Amino acid sequence: MSVFAIGVGGTGAKCLEALTHLHTCGLLEQGGTSVRLGTFLVEPDQQSTLLARAETAIDRYQKMRRLLGSKADHFARGELRHYGTWSPLSNSSGAISLDQVFPKAILRTRASGLAALFDCLFPPEEQAADLEVGFRGRPPIGSAVMSRVSLTAEAKTGQWQQMLSDIETASGGGETPVIHLFGSVFGGTGASGVPTLGQMLKSWLKEQGLNKVKVNASLLLPYFDFEGQAREDTGVHAEARNFQLNTDAALQYLRSSGTSCFDQVYLVGSDIKARYDFSIGGRSQANGAHLVELLASLGMRHGLKADSSSHYAHVLSRAVENKISWGDIPDSEVVGEGMARAARFGVAWLNNISLELDAAQSVPMPTFLSGAPWAHQFFQPSGQASGTQAGRPSIRSSEELSLKTAIDAYVETLLQWLQQFSSNTGTGFSQELFTPELLERNSNYENALGRVVRGSARPSRDEQDDTVEAIKVLMDALSHKKISHNGMAGLADTLWSLSYCDTGL
Amino acid sequence: MRSQQGILLGLSFVAGLLWVFVVQKWMFLNVFSGVLAGPGLPLNDYLQLANEPAFTMLWISCISALMIWLWITFRARPRNGAEVRRMKPLWWTAAVILVLLGWLYQLFFSIIIWQLQGQSPVQGSGMNFFLLPPGGWLLLTMMVMINVTLLFWLPTLLASPRTYRLVVPGAVKILGGR
Repeated sequence: MSVFAIGVGGTGAKCLEALTHLHTCGLLEQGGTSVRLGTFLVEPDQQSTLLARAETAIDRYQKMRRLLGSKADHFARGELRHYGTWSPLSNSSGAISLDQVFPKAILRTRASGLAALFDCLFPPEEQAADLEVGFRGRPPIGSAVMSRVSLTAEAKTGQWQQMLSDIETASGGGETPVIHLFGSVFGGTGASGVPTLGQMLKSWLKEQGLNKVKVNASLLLPYFDFEGQAREDTGVHAEARNFQLNTDAALQYLRSSGTSCFDQVYLVGSDIKARYDFSIGGRSQANGAHLVELLASLGMRHGLKADSSSHYAHVLSRAVENKISWGDIPDSEVVGEGMARAARFGVAWLNNISLELDAAQSVPMPTFLSGAPWAHQFFQPSGQASGTQAGRPSIRSSEELSLKTAIDAYVETLLQWLQQFSSNTGTGFSQELFTPELLERNSNYENALGRVVRGSARPSRDEQDDTVEAIKVLMDALSHKKISHNGMAGLADTLWSLSYCDTGL
Repeated sequence: MRSQQGILLGLSFVAGLLWVFVVQKWMFLNVFSGVLAGPGLPLNDYLQLANEPAFTMLWISCISALMIWLWITFRARPRNGAEVRRMKPLWWTAAVILVLLGWLYQLFFSIIIWQLQGQSPVQGSGMNFFLLPPGGWLLLTMMVMINVTLLFWLPTLLASPRTYRLVVPGAVKILGGR
């Protein structure tokens, strides 16, 4: 089964970051089988930190998956293909402002009425605003730029080509592919891009006769405010006071024309706002991940269920006004276990196992094994730099170390994301999902796992026995039949399986 | 502790008991009697008054050291392999002390205790100690080392728990393979 996620704008990119991590957790599945996830980012602000973060998560996951190959049965088993990042300004021949996208001089000579309408709709500062930092929280600017895009033309060339072709192939192969768009309705790029692209995709699918393909969307309602003000010379910029106005307009549009854009819509926001530093866009926009983006991403998981299309709108709420816990997360049992496993794996790998593997590089293998018996299950005991023994590679082989580096890099991204969204809840609002300070990378050989996950998703093991050492003991005691793969891949795969183990030792 | 380890610990304990109080005694009487016995040394008296108490004390010392080792390793929650390996010097220290104690017990029960009491262990000999031939001392030295091997190394090798499974000398070679 193939699913295609399109993140529009900074918030859309953050949702794809969350989605990538959910894919790692094995939470994008249909009928127990992990789906093939295709990702595509739409963002005029190519310098955006949010975009870079999503691309980093995707790239690192892809690299890790490539190096893992078929050597993991449980860990990171979901396929992911990134189709690239596309800017709506890329077709405007280098134009970086609205009056360059719609050249005023030409408009005046060829259609003076249109030029007057253009002046009427867009004040001079909006016409001249540099759009390389995005659509500056102004949906009308984005809508004007987006409306020039032709998917029929894009399907023949450019970055859309491969994704649209894959959608056609998946649909032709008897699947029911799902396209899921992500973006905010209160900013600029997402608010203008998501409905426009949804409608364009729907029309294109109809033209191609691909009627089985579903187009869903997770639309994010306001969930953050800006801390601080723009400088006087900032020019046109996103303002928190416009968020509600933009949202009202978007919701009105959805009410009247939503069905022409989407089959299902997931609207997620928060009455308690996180506070982010003001930024016009670009590298300075470094908003941390937020729980709302996770919930928006879970919309895609919901959309994959067979019974998901029985209602057009889905409603989420929380049980306690100033707190969110696992019970408030949709499908909390499965999602909780998946995310708890990922968090516990991340801490165990990055803050302990990986450090052990580094230490193994500087001591003879028999010496290392005397303190780390679990290692003999995956690596050859002689410690030779190359060759294998009973299928086990050397702990020092360059291929194994490359894979370790790739896993380290991805897991660091994963922990960073978990840490951000669990510490970034907003004033007076708390979460009972994770302990943020335990999700930070450190070199202390973290042993205690008991408090990494909080609430009902925490394994019911005694806290003092819930340690990385206990997992190492389990790994050491496993029979050969239960270890399908050797080397770093086998180690990561086994650690992933044992990271969420409800039984004592 | 895995059940298999518990069984092995129990077996090695029973084997140690049998060794110290049955097999070794029989060997001293029947195999090494020529090496131990010398002029003016009644072997039965020596075995009863010096050899057996010395090896019983060594057995108690080894069992105590084994209990302390298991108590420490059971309770420990090492964060990494380096912390586990830090137990190696402790094991070696315990083993060396046990060997030295074993030799000391032999000296004590064969010579020192009689010197302190001012008595002669062999009536009519006039000597305040058991006069063992040099070969006998050499044999006892070796037997102390064998006893420490059987009573301390073997049970710690078979029953060191969890991540301490391979920290005992020789464990990687003997138990480390698949």
